[in-house]
Amino acid sequence: MTWTLRIGLPSATLALLALVWEIGVRAGGAQGIAPYPSGVIAAGLRLIADGTALAALSGSLGRVLIGFGIGALIGVPLGLAIGTLPALDRAIRPITDSLRSIAPIAWIPMAILWLGVRGDAALFVVAYAAVFPFVVNAAQAARLVDRAHVNAARALGAGPGLVLRSVIVPSTLPLVLTGARIAMAFAWGSIIAAELAIGIKVAGHGRSVAGLGQLMVETLYVQRDVNALVFYMLVIGAVSFAIDAGLRHAQGVLLPWTRR
Amino acid sequence: MTGTDRLGPVAPAGLAAPPRRRLDRSRTAIARGIGRALAPLGGLVALVAVWHGVSATVGNATILPPPLAVAAALREMLVDELPQDVAASLVHLGAGYGLGALTGLVLALLAARFPLFEAVIDPLVEFLRPISAIAWIPIAILMFGVSQGVPIFLIFYASLFPIFVNTLDGIRRIDPRLVQAARMLGASRRLVVSHVVLPAALPAVMSGARLSLGVGWMAMVAGELVGAEAGLGWRILWHQEFFAMDKVMATIVAIGVLGYAADAALRLLQARLLSWAPDAGGGR
Repeated sequence: MTWTLRIGLPSATLALLALVWEIGVRAGGAQGIAPYPSGVIAAGLRLIADGTALAALSGSLGRVLIGFGIGALIGVPLGLAIGTLPALDRAIRPITDSLRSIAPIAWIPMAILWLGVRGDAALFVVAYAAVFPFVVNAAQAARLVDRAHVNAARALGAGPGLVLRSVIVPSTLPLVLTGARIAMAFAWGSIIAAELAIGIKVAGHGRSVAGLGQLMVETLYVQRDVNALVFYMLVIGAVSFAIDAGLRHAQGVLLPWTRR
Repeated sequence: MTGTDRLGPVAPAGLAAPPRRRLDRSRTAIARGIGRALAPLGGLVALVAVWHGVSATVGNATILPPPLAVAAALREMLVDELPQDVAASLVHLGAGYGLGALTGLVLALLAARFPLFEAVIDPLVEFLRPISAIAWIPIAILMFGVSQGVPIFLIFYASLFPIFVNTLDGIRRIDPRLVQAARMLGASRRLVVSHVVLPAALPAVMSGARLSLGVGWMAMVAGELVGAEAGLGWRILWHQEFFAMDKVMATIVAIGVLGYAADAALRLLQARLLSWAPDAGGGR
């Protein structure tokens, strides 16, 4: 397949689909009930121009970053410890396994009780979602560190600090970064879920801290604007695409030897 | 887990005294076996103990219900509403996951077989995949109302992509020599698909199926919590309305146990189906 075809065919497919969609909705006279491409674009331009979308997006992104950071701070050291000490692995695995099976969003009522509706509850859910990919991948990375490399460095007189810096970190980093990509995807999905749940809880009590999720609830129940809803969905998709592309790029820059 | 044993201390400290005599060795083996069986329990006991300790320190059964209260609530719910919640959730999961996994599998097979179909479906998948199931919740509520349609649709959507991507990838990674050998020995196209392509792609399909179940499970809880009137996720908020935090926690525990059981069941199936491929998680 040539390059023009590789770029052209997907774009043509999507454009054709959008066109059929637009014509279908207009022919059916279903504007207002069903979303349609030009309406979504108009809604998007309006929401970008008046700053609503950007404010909500930065609110959500800020919380995702903090939650992701907390997840990394807890998850990476824990995972590395589990991966190096099999006894600890056996003791902790049932804990992580059983906690991991609980959908992060299920904690929402407890999180609201502990931390309140003002954003912190969502933060808890995000950190909870992000911590497990870090634990699992860091543990696997630590297990896969080549013992021979460690021994060789030690035999050549490297102290524990140098071994950590120039053997353990470089060999665990690729898997930990993969974990970071999964954690980020989980975190981004959970923030929206948490904000939706919180938004529905506090709907009618005036607007609480605005994130994309709360904004979607308001759009759904107050403004009833389908086109804006689809625009927010596209924003959510675009953000997760951008985050993943960014992390993949970071992996290529930080770890050139893992580049495929 | 051979990877675990290859490096680092082989057994937990204190149990791995170097065997001096034969008798000693068998005794250490037994001790090690007991230690291995007890270590996981120790972890769980520690978790419950810490939970109990924190709860006692907080001293407020609403803010953090103690484990015993949650166990009592769970026992109470077991004879009361829990069976019907679990049944509702399983119906959502069965319908959504069944549809999603099947659709993903069929689409992947078609995409692998017909390049033109792949050229059409691939951009669509890559366009939709970053939009998480969660983002569909408001639209799903609009489409189906607050009903079981919401969680079923979300589970369907969430479980579609991992199995599609994994299956397609698995088929692409098949050693072409396997296919060529079968062709050369006179196998028909159908026989090649059923006896070479499908078995060779099965490890990837199964790991895709497990990924799908994981994200489907999360989508189920979120969908029920926000957009349904039945199921475990809905029950959490229902108990919260009455401020029965012990029951909220009990439902959370039930979600964890069931999620674990669902994954364990799939892992068992994986081990059964892939007993010939230990690297792919089979035969454990």
